[in-house]
Amino acid sequence: MPPEFALEDFAKALRAPDAPLPKGIVDPFGNPAPKRFDVYRNNVTVSLIEALQAAFPAVCALVGEVFFREMARTYLRTHPPASPVMIEYGHGFAEFIEQFEPAASLPFLPDVARLDRAWLDVYHAADAQPLNPARLAGLNDDVLTGARFFVHPAVRFINSGFPLHDLWQAGRAAKSAAGIDPSLVQNVAITRPRYEIQTFGVTPVSAIFIRALMEKEPLGAAVEKVADIKGFDLTRVLNRLLTSGFFMDVEF
Amino acid sequence: MFDPLNIPNQSGAGFKGEHFASIMESNSTVGFFEIHAENYMGAGGLPHRMLTAIREKYPLSVHGVGLSIGAEGPLDTEHLTRLKNVVDRYQPGLVSEHLAWSTHDTNFLNDLLPVPYTKAVLDRVVEHIDQVQTTLGRQILLENPSTYVAFSQSEMKEVDFIRQVQKRTGCGLLLDVNNVHVSATNQNYDAKDYLASFPVEHVGEIHLGGHARDVDDQGAPLLIDAHDREVDDAVWGLYAHLIGNIGPRPTLIEWDNDVPAWHILKADVDAAGRILEQKAGNTHAA
Amino acid sequence: MSTTKKVTSVILGSAMAASLVGAVGMAGPAFAQEDNMEKCFGVSLAGKNDCAAGPGTTCAGTSKVDFQGNAWTLVPAGLCENSEFWGKVLPGDRTGSLTAIDRDMV
Repeated sequence: MPPEFALEDFAKALRAPDAPLPKGIVDPFGNPAPKRFDVYRNNVTVSLIEALQAAFPAVCALVGEVFFREMARTYLRTHPPASPVMIEYGHGFAEFIEQFEPAASLPFLPDVARLDRAWLDVYHAADAQPLNPARLAGLNDDVLTGARFFVHPAVRFINSGFPLHDLWQAGRAAKSAAGIDPSLVQNVAITRPRYEIQTFGVTPVSAIFIRALMEKEPLGAAVEKVADIKGFDLTRVLNRLLTSGFFMDVEF
Repeated sequence: MFDPLNIPNQSGAGFKGEHFASIMESNSTVGFFEIHAENYMGAGGLPHRMLTAIREKYPLSVHGVGLSIGAEGPLDTEHLTRLKNVVDRYQPGLVSEHLAWSTHDTNFLNDLLPVPYTKAVLDRVVEHIDQVQTTLGRQILLENPSTYVAFSQSEMKEVDFIRQVQKRTGCGLLLDVNNVHVSATNQNYDAKDYLASFPVEHVGEIHLGGHARDVDDQGAPLLIDAHDREVDDAVWGLYAHLIGNIGPRPTLIEWDNDVPAWHILKADVDAAGRILEQKAGNTHAA
Repeated sequence: MSTTKKVTSVILGSAMAASLVGAVGMAGPAFAQEDNMEKCFGVSLAGKNDCAAGPGTTCAGTSKVDFQGNAWTLVPAGLCENSEFWGKVLPGDRTGSLTAIDRDMV
């Protein structure tokens, strides 16, 4: 059945610049039409590059558009989307960048990619009313100690060993990264209480506490993990979590 | 108050989030809005918040771009379910998809790729459209493609292929007049002949959009369906000719690349609206 | 209840009370039924599915260059141009600075 084979060859040749023109691809006069076929090759490649560029704006700004588009082109050759929904493309891009040799001099870049991708996940995540902080007011210590939180569906948390929030913000705002303190270690929380996305940097100590809460450990147990570590500011962390819509619900 | 399930014979625009504030602030007169279904397959957030507000004020049409109806393999039932969810959520007046393929071996290629016009492909397209209409529980419109190559295997003309699909599935048709002009130029046939033999009685919607110019291997003109500029004069001419023959139909202006300020897109929407009114007036007078 | 736990719960009670100052009864956008949509329009994103073609026959789809493993041919530019700075962000002895904090972090 020749038409079936035509589409098989067609599909393979789209993503392989070296592949010969598929059999039976002609212009209206029956001549072979390699340049016409290249319109499709180009559409596939460019549209996927642009989907990645839209999803990873901070990565793109940090490395420049020329570098980004070549990196994206290399990625889509080996990692074509498995779903037609382009707002979900690129979940493996950070792991790809880890192995992409030209980016080896920028070891923080995979974390920036993870944050860009998580930001887009939050943008499209389910709506939910955040936990009203008033529900935690006036409770006695024993009740608070046993409190377990449910994370809001539009929340993500990215671990990093780099000044990730500052690097990412520089990329998103296309501002110079020269003023960033390279010694900072910033994990990043992303929240979206209603429609507006918030991000904030989290110290390694606070990250231990927040991760424990995310895993449904009781508040008292989470505090015990970090209470003795210098620099942990429980009031400050709780205030930020409760005012940024990090949680959806609490049970006692 | 409008009937949301009935798209009027007026002109509309492809909805873009960046135009939301302008549309709402200016309380724009627009016959309907159309969205690409895949961009609303997320769970929530701003896209759905804006679309819900649009849907409260305007009739809505849902245009799928990723179902791959012309593909060799079976339809992606998970994707079809997600399309059904969008349709169920917004109850649009029209639902449409393309005569094209975009998925192969589970790899999505993000382009509307051409099919050879053979009996085997016809059977497959008919089977896929039956499946879509059964799943959605409603009729869909199928859109004619822009094409850049021909297949030596093709056994029939595009317009005959489309007529057969319509007859066998009972689907409606979305006639993209820019695609007719682009394909006619690229495939060396006459656009007016194509329109004359198109089963226009089944056309439920018309698309208009801008195209780019290139040249093929032989240096002959090759038009690209880029949706990146105003509708071309040649396409306006074909459109006026078509509406004069068949009467008014819901007409959408598509602008997807280099999206301009709302008032520039709106100018093309209004231009289509004037042609619809003028031809409706003529028909009425006659 | 152990002594540690008692201490923790006392810390917890006062910390929670302090953290709720300004948080309870918040009228800010985060908890309003309808937040300020204007602010959100600025970040309204175009979804990347559409039915338009790309820019014709440019070379993006036909270039045979493969940068995987050819590090020397592709060099980051953009905001990373200042290589002196990026050298400092490289991993190494970073453990000494784990307590560094800026005013926006928690």
